[in-house]
Amino acid sequence: MKWSSFKYLTKQGLHSMVQNRLMTVASVGVLTACLIITGIAALLSVNVNSFVDYLSDQNEFEVYLNDGADQTVVDAFVQSVSGLGNVAEVEYVSKAQAVEEMRSWMGEDGDLLESYAGEGNASNPLPASVRVRVDDLELLAETVESVKGLGADLIYDVQSPTELSSVLVGMKRAVTYAGWGLVAVLGVVSIVVISNTIRLTVFARRKEINIMKFVGATNAFIRLPFFVEGMAVGAIAGVLSTAVVGGGYYALLRALENPNAAWLGEFTRCMWPFKDVIWIMLGGFVLFGVFIGGVGCATSIRKHLKV
Amino acid sequence: MIRFEGVKKVYPGNGNTPDILALNDVNLHIRKGEFVFVLGHSGAGKSTFLKLILREEEATEGRVIVNGRDLSTIKQRDIPYLRRGLGVVFQDFRLIPTMTAYENVAFAMRVTNIPERQIKRRVPYVLNLVGLTGKAHSYPAELSGGEQQRVALARALVHSPPIIIADEPTGNIDPELSVEIMELLQAINSVGTTVVVVTHERALARHFNKRTIMIDHGEVVTDARPKRKREVTFK
Ligand SMILES: Nc1ncnc2c1ncn2[C@@H]1O[C@H](COP(=O)(O)OP(=O)(O)OP(=O)(O)O)[C@@H](O)[C@H]1O
Ligand SMILES: [Mg+2]
Repeated sequence: MKWSSFKYLTKQGLHSMVQNRLMTVASVGVLTACLIITGIAALLSVNVNSFVDYLSDQNEFEVYLNDGADQTVVDAFVQSVSGLGNVAEVEYVSKAQAVEEMRSWMGEDGDLLESYAGEGNASNPLPASVRVRVDDLELLAETVESVKGLGADLIYDVQSPTELSSVLVGMKRAVTYAGWGLVAVLGVVSIVVISNTIRLTVFARRKEINIMKFVGATNAFIRLPFFVEGMAVGAIAGVLSTAVVGGGYYALLRALENPNAAWLGEFTRCMWPFKDVIWIMLGGFVLFGVFIGGVGCATSIRKHLKV
Repeated sequence: MIRFEGVKKVYPGNGNTPDILALNDVNLHIRKGEFVFVLGHSGAGKSTFLKLILREEEATEGRVIVNGRDLSTIKQRDIPYLRRGLGVVFQDFRLIPTMTAYENVAFAMRVTNIPERQIKRRVPYVLNLVGLTGKAHSYPAELSGGEQQRVALARALVHSPPIIIADEPTGNIDPELSVEIMELLQAINSVGTTVVVVTHERALARHFNKRTIMIDHGEVVTDARPKRKREVTFK
């Protein structure tokens, strides 16, 4: 297709949008509404995910060892634990180190533990332990089992956040699935709405299309103005919905700047910063809108081209 | 130019209506430069004949060959190019009401990727050819039936197609104007363009004394070339 034709057809498409103002406004409105809901779902999803990721950053468990275990056996155990899959980091904490940690944690009162300090102090009641950090929280339970299997007679107790982790993982999954599901449903709804609006435009101009066919216009030529129309509607809806959702998000961030509850503060700290979100949102919405405009257009005009 | 070989066209019934045999075993050959009337009563199959040439409909049996293209095997994407070689004046003109006479004609050129420069030269020329220079910027609603028809003819001519087809060109206009439009078609024919005129008016065909193909109930019943002036056989 020649550039001059392309220009002409683009102009035709935009002209038709102005001519059918009401229809254009209606389809921009519906598509904008769909995109806004999609945007809210997506923002909720990414922020919950980010919060869950933050919470699950404490993805380690502690293996307490029996007193009096042979040091070479313990070293071998640590060695084999760090060889396991899903294990990111292993740290051996000796009895003496455990006391030191406890003392610094207690601050000034730590002096009370003075008598237990020192390497090989027989009165030290704290057990030695192995701290294991995992890569994937979802596999935590299995990793704990494997560790237990490696040194059953060495281990006195294991403390792991298995419960919490399964809740978090479940939450993350639910939010992700619900988010994507919503996006898919709204995508289909938008396509149907757009294709119906364009179908009306096409119907209003079916005679013209028929005439075009009989004077030898190719399908691509006939389709282009409608594509331009559909995609322009999509692009406008994309910009509008970005303004609405972006503006709302900005206001929300401002409102949460000085939270009055501690957990809310945690959550706010995990929220995506406005300037990271806004460009992704603009790009995503405009692309999504243009895509939907294009697809909706293609589906509504097919029938009229079969002459 | 146009060749029909054992062409049969059946419109399938829809359950309540029976199948309709619109054309049956049609064999004919229209050569380059000929002027042909296709004559027949209402429902005889004339429009079906035209639709087959334009590939608006497909033959149920047999072959239709137009400008060297076999329409039973033509690819979907080649159909626009087939149609660019056929100038058609439809019975109802098919002008776009929101466009002026000039734009209606220019539109047919734009549709086929012709540069604007060339359009600006060509459109006034063909409008002049059909005697519409003064009406270039009138809308179809502001034109008489005869003038609208001439816009349609100008549009058909704009690509200088090797074949011009007119469906009932005298149907909607008074006899004086119909002679005028027929004379225009004759002039176009005299420079080598093949012209096919579809009509139900025997008098018209008789008056112009050209090859006349008569269709009745979907069959070609006569195909006569005049041997001498005003000597056409009719069944
Ligand atoms: N799309 C269609 N579906 C079913 N039957 C059709 C269709 N088009 C035409 N027919 C039938 O085919 C037969 C021939 O129709 P056609 O339109 O070719 O006649 P015609 O000679 O052009 O008549 P007229 O002079 O009235 O325009 C008629 O019986 C008509 O009812
Ligand atoms: Mg007819």
